[in-house]
Amino acid sequence: MSTHVVRLPEAQLQPLLAVYNASVRSRRRHTLLILACVAVAMLLASISAEVSLSKLAENIHRFPSYIVRLFFLENGQPVWTDFGEWFWGLQRWLRLLGETLLMAYVGTVLGAGVAFVLAFLAAANVAPSRWLRIIVRRFGEVCRTVPTLVLALIFVISFGLGPMAGVLAVIVHTFGVLTKLFAEVIENIDMKPVEGVSSTGSPWHVAMRFGALPQVMSNFTSYTLLRFEINVREAAVMGFVGAGGIGQDLVEAIRKFYYSDVSAILVLILLTVAVIDMLTSKARHRLIGLEGKP
Amino acid sequence: MSAMRQRYPEHFQRFGRDRFVMAAIGVGLFALLIYAMGRLGFFDGTLLSGLGRLFEIVGLMLPPDPGSWAHVKTYSISLLETVAIALLGTLSAAVLALPVALLAARNVTAQRVVRFLSRRSLDTIRSVDILVWALIWINVVGLGPFAGALAIMTADIGSFGKLFSEAIEAADRKPVEGITSAGGSHIFGIRFGILPEVFPVLMSQVLYYFESNTRSASIIGIVGAGGIGLHLAEAIRTLELQQTSFIVLMILVAVAAIDFLSSQLRFAMIGRRGGVSV
Amino acid sequence: MLRLEGITKSFGGKHAVDGVSLTVPVGQLVGVIGRSGAGKSTLLRMINRLGEPTSGRILFGDTDVTALRGRPLRAWRARCAMIFQQFNLAGRLDVLTNVLMGRAFHMPPSRALLKMWTDDEKAQALSALEGLDMARLAGQRAETLSGGQQQRVAIARALVQEPDIVLADEPIASLDPRNTKVVMDALQHINRHLGITVICNLHSLDLARSYCDRLVGMSGGRVVFDGAPAALTDATARDLYGLEAGDVVGHAAPPPMLPAGVQPGFALAGS
Ligand SMILES: Nc1ncnc2c1ncn2[C@@H]1O[C@H](COP(=O)(O)OP(=O)(O)OP(=O)(O)O)[C@@H](O)[C@H]1O
Ligand SMILES: [Mg+2]
Repeated sequence: MSTHVVRLPEAQLQPLLAVYNASVRSRRRHTLLILACVAVAMLLASISAEVSLSKLAENIHRFPSYIVRLFFLENGQPVWTDFGEWFWGLQRWLRLLGETLLMAYVGTVLGAGVAFVLAFLAAANVAPSRWLRIIVRRFGEVCRTVPTLVLALIFVISFGLGPMAGVLAVIVHTFGVLTKLFAEVIENIDMKPVEGVSSTGSPWHVAMRFGALPQVMSNFTSYTLLRFEINVREAAVMGFVGAGGIGQDLVEAIRKFYYSDVSAILVLILLTVAVIDMLTSKARHRLIGLEGKP
Repeated sequence: MSAMRQRYPEHFQRFGRDRFVMAAIGVGLFALLIYAMGRLGFFDGTLLSGLGRLFEIVGLMLPPDPGSWAHVKTYSISLLETVAIALLGTLSAAVLALPVALLAARNVTAQRVVRFLSRRSLDTIRSVDILVWALIWINVVGLGPFAGALAIMTADIGSFGKLFSEAIEAADRKPVEGITSAGGSHIFGIRFGILPEVFPVLMSQVLYYFESNTRSASIIGIVGAGGIGLHLAEAIRTLELQQTSFIVLMILVAVAAIDFLSSQLRFAMIGRRGGVSV
Repeated sequence: MLRLEGITKSFGGKHAVDGVSLTVPVGQLVGVIGRSGAGKSTLLRMINRLGEPTSGRILFGDTDVTALRGRPLRAWRARCAMIFQQFNLAGRLDVLTNVLMGRAFHMPPSRALLKMWTDDEKAQALSALEGLDMARLAGQRAETLSGGQQQRVAIARALVQEPDIVLADEPIASLDPRNTKVVMDALQHINRHLGITVICNLHSLDLARSYCDRLVGMSGGRVVFDGAPAALTDATARDLYGLEAGDVVGHAAPPPMLPAGVQPGFALAGS
């Protein structure tokens, strides 16, 4: 059939074909084995998580209808027909939203502040003491792994309902995450400047200040800004456990089926998050731009 | 020096102005911090009296103690349920996110409108918190772990959709060009030029999310969507502090185990030569 | 016969290719030479229609290639195989699958997308690979091969396309001298024994001189030389290459002879 490629004689072709088919078969077997494992795991997980596709099929229509209902007022009119009615609680919500932002801000700044100091003790290349490093690392790991909401629950018992519990939870979590990230940044620095300062007989903190700090500042700031974006979202749900912010009104609206309130609050949160994301990403780009300059 | 200043006035001015702006921003941020701390009650005794109680509570939490063997059993089952929720949510989200990610990727979908719409929907899904999704799904399928798995799935469709589409856009375009140049259609280019190349990247993202979803799955029980969170919230509410710390410890161990497992798998997948063929 | 009529391509106002007109008769081995940035790659990509010309026409026989859309366009690409400097293989797919991509135009997607190849297709791809001494690596992933081996896979892919023209864009630029010879010999073989037109971008003037029937020199997007290799004087070459002249004229060592046995057997065509 082909004029370009002369087909090999069968005797030569068959062994080559057999070798190729065998290699494909062994790869397929490998893939099937993995797929089978995943399928078994999924099956066991579905039993454990009480998955019921029939229940889902029966009730799935409620999902779109729930979403649609979010956009209708009590009186049955679509929300955009009466903004005053839709955002009837605007003043209160804005105040709570402001509180949320303050929680995120304080949580980020204080968490990053502590992480800033401790990261130098946790970075393998500059840590003054091995034991201290291990302790700081483990502590940061625990702070990072305990879910923020669990911390908030515990803080609510000791500090009472309100934003104090929420902001402390954000601080602890931020500290845990940033200590790790900051320490990684420090571990990647060029050690020559640090050794240069140390060799003049300066104490450790001076070597850090003039040898290490200039190299890490922009990365630190960039990570902190990213963390601020995340913390705004986290602070917005602290209210779910009574730890302050807009989450309190949101969860109440959802629980009590105040549909238009749910959408109004969600819209406010989404807008705030979008604006914050835009501002911080602008700030980060400026930072990168500044770094490029001599 | 002054000659330099005269010759390059803009350098000196900019330097001075930059410094001034920086200092102003610093002062402003600091003032905001103090104001915010005041508003949040840092200076009015709430903090101090609370700290006292916190130490007391932490003291009461130690040593962690489940209370009884029956509790250990209940908690272990709930913890498995938590992992199951995370697994189901993560994998089903990955499967559902892939088509959306393809629609959102520039090198796959040429139509701007389709791309824009799929991106916007992914953004919207992502910016609604997982707890809110959990509450919505509870309205649909009732209380329990199923709602939790659906919540994780929904939230992750947003995250995976974005991550996957970024990975797809970052894919080397040379293999696709090779196929196109031989007369292969666009769908051949996607199937043979893009998907096999990005598959390991996507899988490693999925494995990475499995770990963080285990953490999320351990809190959605707080709003009634199954898993260990239910017991945790209950233990805290009833001030069973030793049980609380025991449950937290169990969560930490489970997350660490899954972290270990998923990083091993990720390493094996990227490092191994035979690999999974798609 | 391939005819280019006043082909121009501009990127944001800058002409990468500027009014190129060429006629290439069937069966010629044309070398396109010129310094980096002269527009060689851009020209070749337009012939395959990987790039759209800003103006001008490309004709193949009576067909206006520039006007093709959709399936006829893909049919043209299938007839006009392309070999790239970076091989452009799918690294994680096995060698045979990569070669079979050369048949993509002729396969029904329903079965091909599931990787269900017919024995006939596999036999053809294996035969093409065997001609380049690569058949025993058919099951291996492309990314695990050396550059020279990858380029041979790419040539096998071009061959199973059963093309009328082969375009090669600096096919040897990332290869060592030994593989350079293997690849250039394969292109020469395709041209001599199968009668396929080959247009090959080359950076090295020595190679271009020793392999090509005809040289086209480009500079700044224009054709500044077109003729037999013998007609290209050193002075013209220096003009073509400017400051790079020292690298490409005269000093380059001729490709070394291969030790017996490593030269791939060219069992490609019914010679
Ligand atoms: N996609 C593109 N966008 C903008 N400019 C391009 C693009 N592709 C090529 N160019 C420009 O067109 C000109 C010709 O490029 P081309 O790649 O064709 O040169 P070349 O002769 O193949 O060079 P080389 O030997 O380095 O491969 C160059 O100036 C290049 O900068
Ligand atoms: Mg080029």
